[in-house]
Amino acid sequence: MTRNGETVKWITARRRHPLAGYVVVILALAFFGVGYAYVAPGADRAEAQTLATEATGDDQTDVARGREIFVRSCASCHGPSGEGTGNGPDITDVGGAAIDFQVSTGRMPSTNPDAQMPRKASMYTQEEIYDLVAYYEEEIGEGPEVPLDVPGSAPERSNFADEEAYEAAKAEYEEAYEAYVSGADDVEVGMELYLTNCAHCHSWSGSGGALTDGKWAPELDDASPRQIYEAMITGPGQMPAFNDMIIQPDEKQELIAYVKDLQNEPDAGGIFNLNRIGQVAEGFIGWTVGLSLIVACAIWITAKQRAHD
Amino acid sequence: MTDNTTDHNKGEGAEGPDRVIGTPSSAEGDRLVASSADPHSEHEGPFPAEETHARPEEMQRKGEKVAAAWFTLAFLGGIIFFVGYFAFSSTEIAEPRIAQYSNVTLGGGLALALFGIGAGMTVWARRVMPHYDVSTPYDELPSSPEEKGSFGDFFMKGAAESGFTKRPLMRRTLLLAMAPLGLAPIVLLRDTGPLPGDTLKHTLWKKGMRMVVEGTEREGEATWIRAEDLGNAPGGMISALPYVQPTEEHPHGLSLNEQAKTVILLIKVGEDEWKPGMTEQQLNWTHDGIVAYSKICTHVGCPAALYEQGTHRILCPCHQSTFDAADGAKVVFGPAHRPLPQLPITVDDEGYLVADGDFSSPVGPTFWDVEKED
Amino acid sequence: MSRTTQAPKGLRATGNFIDDRFHVAKSGEKNLRKVFPNHWSFMLGEIALYSFIILLLTGVFLTLWFKPSMTEVVYDGSYERLQGVVMSEAYASTLHIDFDVRGGFLVRQIHHWAALIFVASLVAHMLRVFFTGAFRKPREINWLIGIAIFVLAILEGLFGYSLPDDLPSGMGIRILQGVMLSLPVIGTYVSMFLFGGEFPGEDIIPRLYMLHILLIPGILLALIVAHFMILWHQKHTQYPGRGRTEKKVVGVPMFPAFAVKAGGFFFFVFAVTVAFSAFVQINPIHLFGPFSPTSITSGLQPDWYMGFMEGALRIFPNWFDFTIFGYAVPTGVLVPALVIPGILFTGLAVWPFLEAWITGDKRHHNVADRPRNAPVRTGVGMAGITFYGLLWMAGSNDILSETFSLNLYGTTWFFRFAIFIGPVLAFVITKRICLGLQRRDRATLAHGYESGTIQQLPSGEYIEVHKESPDEMVHVLRSKEPLDRTDTEDVDENGVEAPSARGLRGRLRTALAHWYTKDNVSFEGVEPHSGHHGQHEEIAPEQAETATR
Repeated sequence: MTRNGETVKWITARRRHPLAGYVVVILALAFFGVGYAYVAPGADRAEAQTLATEATGDDQTDVARGREIFVRSCASCHGPSGEGTGNGPDITDVGGAAIDFQVSTGRMPSTNPDAQMPRKASMYTQEEIYDLVAYYEEEIGEGPEVPLDVPGSAPERSNFADEEAYEAAKAEYEEAYEAYVSGADDVEVGMELYLTNCAHCHSWSGSGGALTDGKWAPELDDASPRQIYEAMITGPGQMPAFNDMIIQPDEKQELIAYVKDLQNEPDAGGIFNLNRIGQVAEGFIGWTVGLSLIVACAIWITAKQRAHD
Repeated sequence: MTDNTTDHNKGEGAEGPDRVIGTPSSAEGDRLVASSADPHSEHEGPFPAEETHARPEEMQRKGEKVAAAWFTLAFLGGIIFFVGYFAFSSTEIAEPRIAQYSNVTLGGGLALALFGIGAGMTVWARRVMPHYDVSTPYDELPSSPEEKGSFGDFFMKGAAESGFTKRPLMRRTLLLAMAPLGLAPIVLLRDTGPLPGDTLKHTLWKKGMRMVVEGTEREGEATWIRAEDLGNAPGGMISALPYVQPTEEHPHGLSLNEQAKTVILLIKVGEDEWKPGMTEQQLNWTHDGIVAYSKICTHVGCPAALYEQGTHRILCPCHQSTFDAADGAKVVFGPAHRPLPQLPITVDDEGYLVADGDFSSPVGPTFWDVEKED
Repeated sequence: MSRTTQAPKGLRATGNFIDDRFHVAKSGEKNLRKVFPNHWSFMLGEIALYSFIILLLTGVFLTLWFKPSMTEVVYDGSYERLQGVVMSEAYASTLHIDFDVRGGFLVRQIHHWAALIFVASLVAHMLRVFFTGAFRKPREINWLIGIAIFVLAILEGLFGYSLPDDLPSGMGIRILQGVMLSLPVIGTYVSMFLFGGEFPGEDIIPRLYMLHILLIPGILLALIVAHFMILWHQKHTQYPGRGRTEKKVVGVPMFPAFAVKAGGFFFFVFAVTVAFSAFVQINPIHLFGPFSPTSITSGLQPDWYMGFMEGALRIFPNWFDFTIFGYAVPTGVLVPALVIPGILFTGLAVWPFLEAWITGDKRHHNVADRPRNAPVRTGVGMAGITFYGLLWMAGSNDILSETFSLNLYGTTWFFRFAIFIGPVLAFVITKRICLGLQRRDRATLAHGYESGTIQQLPSGEYIEVHKESPDEMVHVLRSKEPLDRTDTEDVDENGVEAPSARGLRGRLRTALAHWYTKDNVSFEGVEPHSGHHGQHEEIAPEQAETATR
């Protein structure tokens, strides 16, 4: 009570200060800013993360370990043989590519079977996922296979014992990535395929977009070429599938190279790209920052001057 | 009517009890001009002393220094601009990273130069120049009755003298002569474009026309889409165009006009997922669960391309008109009214998907006679 | 400080040369003495003027390279990522400006940012004029010119946005064409004639280019000049204050002070625009890709000033579409695209006349109203802003939906309801706030202002000490006019209805006038500091002024 009284007094004493209005405005802006940051789910979605370990071949997989992972993390919802339960769909025909996509993007195992899962750090290393895929293909079902020739996620330092091994793996990965992306040489094809089949959900910049029922098409910033490929052939969530006959592998390469090149391109127009949201962000910034700055100058020019000073 | 602010005595008389602005009240009689005890005697500005509040010399000197500092900064900004211009050659800026550097140096330098000048001028006006509270009367706006009367008199006499009102034959023929001239520009605009006719109601699609995945440049047998290309399981979708022999002018065979009307979405729907709203005919127009709809929204013409395979919704990203792909593309939400036109499809002898005629209704935004048969 | 009685010889010679030919010494001096009231909100229009100048300068630069042609070319310019792509010459030449002309990227971005700021400052300026009642007699004509400028500026922006022929810009034209087609009877003709055939054809960009760089800017320039000349002739309005009356304007003289200030302000506006263009990327057409009628992107938006129309198109349902004798009338397009903007702009245009008709106020006004002193007008203004703002937000409902994980259709439904409820709420709340402020003004006028100092009276009661308001404040508070209708009374002293109050129109007007004025707080009979506790015995300012005379 007393404290309240003091606060009120403190405010009362200062509310006529010439700067009081500005302080209120700044506080309000800060409030909304913080509120926005708190409410906006983008924060955790946008969290950059990359996947573990380098891409290894099929040959060293450990089916037993894969079974262990399946039993521990998948069977409870998808059933012990992947036939599906009330909590999760039948996965016997989704294929290894879907398994790799869902687990490597951290969407599976899911904590809430009813909601769309945002991308997050995977619970498993790439090797473990390979084991899981091997087990899946041996015991559970079949479907599109993991496109091993498409570069996956970049290696992560924490999965390597020493710097040297990490550097080597990184260099190898970058070479493979570079080879894949620069192997695409017809921008026209990649661009048209992307703009006619993908951009209406994922946007021209690959930054995602709204779907119905509160769902969204995720941004592609962190997606590795392989994950994009897998998403296309398996059609996760509401996304339609684009198999290798309707969009052939070399065309997919063009498409992936187009969007990845675009995303990696520095912003020629300035340091701030407004998240490449486009016109809404531009209008908002133009009004809030642009006009405010100019008005601040106008206030400086016209500010009252005491007659004699 | 005068704006002359020096004419104060005249002005005040008419204004009644208002005090002359800036007249020092008894409480603030002492002016703080440093050099002088009685500033009025030394005042040399263009406006009367009581409306002019000169800055003390010391303040002016400080102001001059600050303004000069801003102007110098502006000069430096200008230099940065020139350095930026010549540092990056016009061949280098094609690289986006370099373009960004170039943009930032040119723009940053220019902004600094402009801001410096603006700030310097503001300091100049605020700290070197005197502060004024000059007053001047607003003009009395309506003219006096005498002036108005005189004008009206003059005008009417002149008008009468001209004979415009008195001689109707001349007046009417003049108006008659003007009429064709007024219409001429409208006639001249006629050739800006062809008449619509029924062009909006038909497209290039014809029975037996094969289709290609939009954007691809395949050769041989893979050029055209086969029914099985969309896979066995439902959920597939692709944006497609009719196949036309490429020409010199149009590498893809189709002009933009033709693309804008013929583009379709091929969607694979599960056989058991069709809704009862689909008529027998509409089902006949599908092939093996594949249905083809125009991609152009019937609202205002954006490509309605956002297909959700789980809900079978086709959504237009512009204004969110939503169509149900499993229900003849009927509108289920949003501002569009007509369903998306359906393209009848079947397969030809070689197993390629082909059109079985033109769209079920005119493509694109609804227009006046859209539902009229020709 | 030496006295200069004569201008230097060179200057005098030039002056004489001009005066010999034009006889301008007298009017020249009169104009140099022009008085401009000093307030930051009076600079908003200047922002628009300066942005327009920036637009002209940068626009001329861009025309040096831009090719308004829709001929398809295979790009082989120096921007590597798009080499080999089929695109229109318009798009290719824009890439050329961006990546081959030094400073071209900067100038294009300045042009775009200046356009956004131009329209934004027009709106801000218009709101200032509206809320302060500066549109009242004698300035109604200038208000109408201002609205014409606003409409043309929006069109100008829309056409400019369409020129580079990138993906979103082409979609803007597509929507424009869809709207044209929806016009009853003439729609297909208008569209075929404007586009020279079917969409997109090859003519639309050259034609829009002509409109964008010649016709509309020409008209805009003429209107801006007219707007400015009228302002110059009628002199600027001023806020209430000591000595500022309907008859006399107080402020800074054109020469020398205002000229320097306004000049400096031009550089500020330019500097902020350039700084934005240097650091914040806008409309990166090279990333969008060229236009194709078959492609679309999510989050597709027009520039902000078209947002309200986009929003109207999104939330207006298809329930009212009908056919008449088999002919389609798509009200789902017509109403949001044409009727709603029509209502908005017509409403703006007729407001000054409507208000004058309602209040019967035919006097000249040079002292601006404080918004609180015209609560109905302020309420209507806020309702309008809410209406516009909700439409504008609805125009980005997909971005809102994605950013805040909201149901997309839910946002549409929200806006469908909010568009009706929001303005009403805004009106009621604003009016209440205004009336509350009026009451506080009345109290301040009568008792002085609340000092924030609390005193305990001997009786134990706590009071806040009211202090004598400064002279300036008293003047501001007393600027409130009685809001009664000022011409005829409805009923004369004999109880006979005035002729103007009879009939449907008269009754409507009486009702509106009642609505307009009924809740106003009367200041009549309130003497400054009359209700004061009595420790100050100063002469009222009114008397002080008479005393100095």
